[in-house]
Amino acid sequence: MNKYFKEFMHRGLMFGGFGPIILAVIYYILSKTVSGFALSGGEILVGTISVYLLAFVQAGASVFNQIEGWSLPKSLLCHFSTLFVSYSLCYIFNSWIPFEPMVLVLFALIFAAVYFIIWFTVYLIVKSTGKKLNARL
Amino acid sequence: MKCTVIIDGEREQEVVIYAHERTELINKIEALASEEQPELVGFSDREAVIIAVDEVFCFATEDNRVFALCENERLRLKERLYKIEEDLPADFVRINQSCIANIKKIRRFDASISGTLRVVFKNGHIDYVSRRQLKQVKERLGL
Repeated sequence: MNKYFKEFMHRGLMFGGFGPIILAVIYYILSKTVSGFALSGGEILVGTISVYLLAFVQAGASVFNQIEGWSLPKSLLCHFSTLFVSYSLCYIFNSWIPFEPMVLVLFALIFAAVYFIIWFTVYLIVKSTGKKLNARL
Repeated sequence: MKCTVIIDGEREQEVVIYAHERTELINKIEALASEEQPELVGFSDREAVIIAVDEVFCFATEDNRVFALCENERLRLKERLYKIEEDLPADFVRINQSCIANIKKIRRFDASISGTLRVVFKNGHIDYVSRRQLKQVKERLGL
């Protein structure tokens, strides 16, 4: 079995469980802050499963950035696309965003902006750590 | 000849001799010090090879097998990674769950796009510092 596929599965299974935990916390906060907030059993089930899959994919997709043969743009594009598709499907499937062209465009823009801000911030921090370590080699 | 022994578990083990000329005593000390160099037995496809630990770039596991990565070859070891780690000198540090790196054989650290720290070895091999091991790597390099 391809070692990267195995790593994808390993990371996904290890961190997938965090998705439902985060969702449960959000549901709890909403129930305490939004009056009349209520969910059916079906909605909770779909939400839990889809968020588990989302966390699974998100954790597993980090392996894309470690495939040595892939260039930086290719890794970044695959990572971004995987997350974008899984997040979009999860949000639409749970009706967290309406299935309307304008909303989807807005969602895509916000998602891309947040993705690149987070990525760039983490990249700068790690780059700075690497620079300090290199000075000690 | 004046003799000083410093016990320091953090530093690399080393014998340094200052002398006016090479003598039989120096030869004997040199031979004894060389014998102290830890060695391991690695296996290539056809033969068993004795590896001096300081020639190893890193020890890594792949598919539950342990390998010693040297300049141009990759030798399989029978020992488990944690067992090897116990006997390694201070130049070695675990960089992630499946890799122990020789600090002297690291060319550079750089940022990977996944937000982890990439380790580029002098033989071209690439591995990663896990978030869990980053603190230990920093400490070992004096940060």
